[in-house]
Amino acid sequence: MLELAPAQAKAQGPPPLGLYMHVPFCANTCDYCAFYQTQPTAEAVRGFLAGAAREAALVEWNRPVDTVFWGGGTPGMLAPRALAELGEIVRRQGGGDPREWSVELAPASVTPQRLAVLKDLGVTRISLGVQSFQPALLEALGRQHTRPQVLQAYARVRAAGFASVNLDLIFAIPGQTLAAWQADLAAALELQSDHLSTYCLTFEEDTALFVKLAQGRVRPDAEAEAAFYTAAWERLEAAGYAQYEISNFARAGHACLHNMNTWRMAEWVGLGPSAASQYAGWRSSNVADLDRWRAELAAGRRARTDPVELTPRVLAEDSLIFGLRMNEGVALPALRARFPEAPWEKVEALAGRLTHEGLAVSEGGALRLTLRGRLLADAVGGQVMEAFESV
Amino acid sequence: MDVSLKRNFCIIAHVDHGKTTLSDRLLESTHTVTQREMKDQMLDSMDLEKERGITIKMHPVTMSYPAKDGKTYQLNLMDTPGHVDFSYEVSRSLAACEGALLLVDAAQGVEAQTVANAHLAFAQKLKVIPVINKIDLPSANLELCTRQLEDILTIPAEEVILASGKSGIGISDILEAIVARVPPPRWADHAGTRILVFDSKYDAYRGVIAYVRVFSGTIKAGDMMMLMSTGQKAEVKEVGAFHPKMEPCDDLGAGDVGYIVSTIKATGDIKIGDTITHAIRPATEMLPGYKEVHPMVYCGLYPLETQDYEKLKSAVARLRLNDSAFVFQPETSVALGFGFRCGFLGLLHMEIIQERIRREHDVDIISTYPSVVYKVKVHGGETFEVDNPVNLPDPSSIQAIYEPTITASIHIPNTCLGDVLSLVMEKRGTCEHTTTLDTTRVMLTCLLPLNEILVDFNDRLKSMTRGYGSMDYELGEYRESDLVRMDILVNGEPVDAFAGIVHRSKAEGQGRSLCERLAEIIPPQMFKIAVQAAIGGKIIARGNVREMRKDVTAKCYGGDISRKRKLLDKQKEGKKKMKQIGRVSIPPDAFIQVLKNNS
Ligand SMILES: Nc1nc2c(ncn2[C@@H]2O[C@H](COP(=O)(O)OP(=O)(O)OP(=O)(O)O)[C@@H](O)[C@H]2O)c(=O)[nH]1
Ligand code: SF4
Ligand SMILES: [Mg+2]
Repeated sequence: MLELAPAQAKAQGPPPLGLYMHVPFCANTCDYCAFYQTQPTAEAVRGFLAGAAREAALVEWNRPVDTVFWGGGTPGMLAPRALAELGEIVRRQGGGDPREWSVELAPASVTPQRLAVLKDLGVTRISLGVQSFQPALLEALGRQHTRPQVLQAYARVRAAGFASVNLDLIFAIPGQTLAAWQADLAAALELQSDHLSTYCLTFEEDTALFVKLAQGRVRPDAEAEAAFYTAAWERLEAAGYAQYEISNFARAGHACLHNMNTWRMAEWVGLGPSAASQYAGWRSSNVADLDRWRAELAAGRRARTDPVELTPRVLAEDSLIFGLRMNEGVALPALRARFPEAPWEKVEALAGRLTHEGLAVSEGGALRLTLRGRLLADAVGGQVMEAFESV
Repeated sequence: MDVSLKRNFCIIAHVDHGKTTLSDRLLESTHTVTQREMKDQMLDSMDLEKERGITIKMHPVTMSYPAKDGKTYQLNLMDTPGHVDFSYEVSRSLAACEGALLLVDAAQGVEAQTVANAHLAFAQKLKVIPVINKIDLPSANLELCTRQLEDILTIPAEEVILASGKSGIGISDILEAIVARVPPPRWADHAGTRILVFDSKYDAYRGVIAYVRVFSGTIKAGDMMMLMSTGQKAEVKEVGAFHPKMEPCDDLGAGDVGYIVSTIKATGDIKIGDTITHAIRPATEMLPGYKEVHPMVYCGLYPLETQDYEKLKSAVARLRLNDSAFVFQPETSVALGFGFRCGFLGLLHMEIIQERIRREHDVDIISTYPSVVYKVKVHGGETFEVDNPVNLPDPSSIQAIYEPTITASIHIPNTCLGDVLSLVMEKRGTCEHTTTLDTTRVMLTCLLPLNEILVDFNDRLKSMTRGYGSMDYELGEYRESDLVRMDILVNGEPVDAFAGIVHRSKAEGQGRSLCERLAEIIPPQMFKIAVQAAIGGKIIARGNVREMRKDVTAKCYGGDISRKRKLLDKQKEGKKKMKQIGRVSIPPDAFIQVLKNNS
């Protein structure tokens, strides 16, 4: 169903290159949101566009980008002209037409004008932040759109003829029953999008939701969350959407290449405040503040923080931690060939234990998590880190 | 100050009968602390005491009281704990006093520790002043309390003072009674200087601080003092009194209670119960001192992180200085590494010491399953003591195992007699005789294996008597018993720290409940983990640790990768707070939790 072989399999040549653009604007802040975003004043937008151009120019590009992803914030907050300007920056630096170009849009921002601009730029994939079809739940999330707006947005995106359309859904919202979640899944399936992302609501620090959590007004329930997860996985599988990562499902040929490459520890350049990069031997994040990001760029530097050197050990460890989140799993022999110095004995022992306990299966050298294993992907990641710890 | 104007007394009672609250009123009415400084249960100065609302240590304080006779007296008060595990604190306080206020909760009446502590006071020939406290309570039964005091303790009704520490009733009567009834300091005219060390503590800056009662002579900074038991000499650096904070003063004289800071720095150098005298012109005869106490319960304490061993070592040494009923010696466990075998007077004592090590000394520790001291006779005649189940020899070489018993005095309402008797039976005990205390209450004298009362006996007694039952006990003889070693296996591997010695008839039941509760307390695991109980390799019970259901981050894109790694790192740190046994993370206080969850 997935036509791409794991990146590790083709050991030769540089890994695919992605470009992530963080558009840091939202009209309001959703209760659960921990992304960096700010109010789109005219001045801020101008500054952002100028900064994006400068930052793109400061990167030492060594090959054309394969995939592009615009996230945020909500890129759809930008006016059509601003979108075009940002798109030109990407096209100039990207070196031709990327194979896949995704843009996240909030349903309320989807207009024929914006869609036309994106289509002209060569955008191939639209991701709609639906979250829920139910007014009460949208309310609980602090979201600003309505169900009719979602339906209209979807129809417009379809009419504009993008190759791939994704819908984002959120579950385990305080007050949401399993039946309500099933109803959201049904509503999404009815639209027959090409791709679905379903996210368990996460209580991120510094969000309004987290405050409620701290005050004891809402309480996460691991059992219930597990049930929501399983319900979605079964339902979507049956409807022809193959799961390819913990939170992502696609019809044949519609998996998001950009994200797959990320999980396979390929390379990507992140532009915009708070965007993360993994490129030319380093991983880092841009400062999560529009003004400071701009100030650094004005001084001729990218505003990078939290640098981590991508040693073979880090890459091998993360290829396992993040690769195991994907249904394709990790091809251990290929990974071993790529990073021979990793603690393979311990990794093999862990693989054996995971398999023995029914948390993973091993097929043709690839280690893949089972459904139960995927529900414990963080714990598995912790075990991977332990295996690497002694190195 | 004239010795005849000093009075030394302590407050004794059953748990919760209001000793510390009454002390508050005494401190207040003598203006020892100002209204502004005053806090509830002022003398419970340790955090642990405040949190739990119980007194753990004795607390001395010096007050000044202008009596109705026109003279001003110096009153040295010692508040004491009521819980049976801390009765050693009571007996040490008594030895430093001439009188004792014996409190009885007006609603509860005379209880087991009322009797036990009163007898301790009588034995020390102290003047006992009976006080019926909490008379503000609607359920107060003054007549019954008075009769119980008369019948059980032969204390005449006319001596009884009625009081309430809460509403401040009877406070001046009590103060007057102390002046009038408690004799002035004894042995004050002894030829040499004699000072009793009744407690001590370690101070990071000043070394060992001795809490003392001066019987005769005086002591001041600059004096050369001598510890009479060892002959060790030291220079006195500072003397002072408790107000209740330590405040330096010029000297301490006969009848005074205070503290001495000297050049002694090593925790092992001062023994509680020792007599301090002057190095020049020493006294010839020591003060009576204290009986050694024998720990009832043992367990192993180990640092969670092996590199904390040295820290733990100094922590136990310093705690011992402040708690002479606590004993320890080094031991090694396969599962836990290097640690200490520690002895306590009871389970609460054990729990409190563990908490103090964690808090006051900042060492994370884990404890093994508690055990009493058994005597084992092997073929060929040799008999030795075993306080750690791991040291029990191979069954084939054992001729007999003897376990410690206790003689318990159990006070209960008549109506609960049947229930309590069956509890005693269940715990392998026998009731030797019953004494009628009054029309509503009886006292049972029972013989029980110590091991059986450790865990939940008291809790169950309390609940089946709706709080009206109480118990006191004394160590009795050893008796032969059919005991076996029960091993606990986690994930198939025996964990020495979990081994216990149990009666054969109870092994299965205890094994099952231990496994179930341990399995519940161990946090959910990603792998299937069984907790099993085994006797000599035969599995007799099992429990399954809960399986982790969900532990996954939903969003994990490019920007989330660094964050996610940090999250996993944080989880790993959290796990470090637990002890890794094989593949399983055991919370450090697992056993305390297991034992507590029982009720
Ligand atoms: N109604 C009433 N309650 C009281 C009185 N004195 C104490 N109490 C309450 O009884 C409880 C125990 O009081 P404490 O003063 O801590 O008793 P204690 O005897 O020092 O307890 P331990 O030191 O743990 O043995 C607290 O909840 C007090 O508020 C009183 O005179 N009247
Ligand atoms: S729209 Fe997205 S980025 Fe903006 S506040 Fe809501 S969740 Fe955050
Ligand atoms: Mg008290």
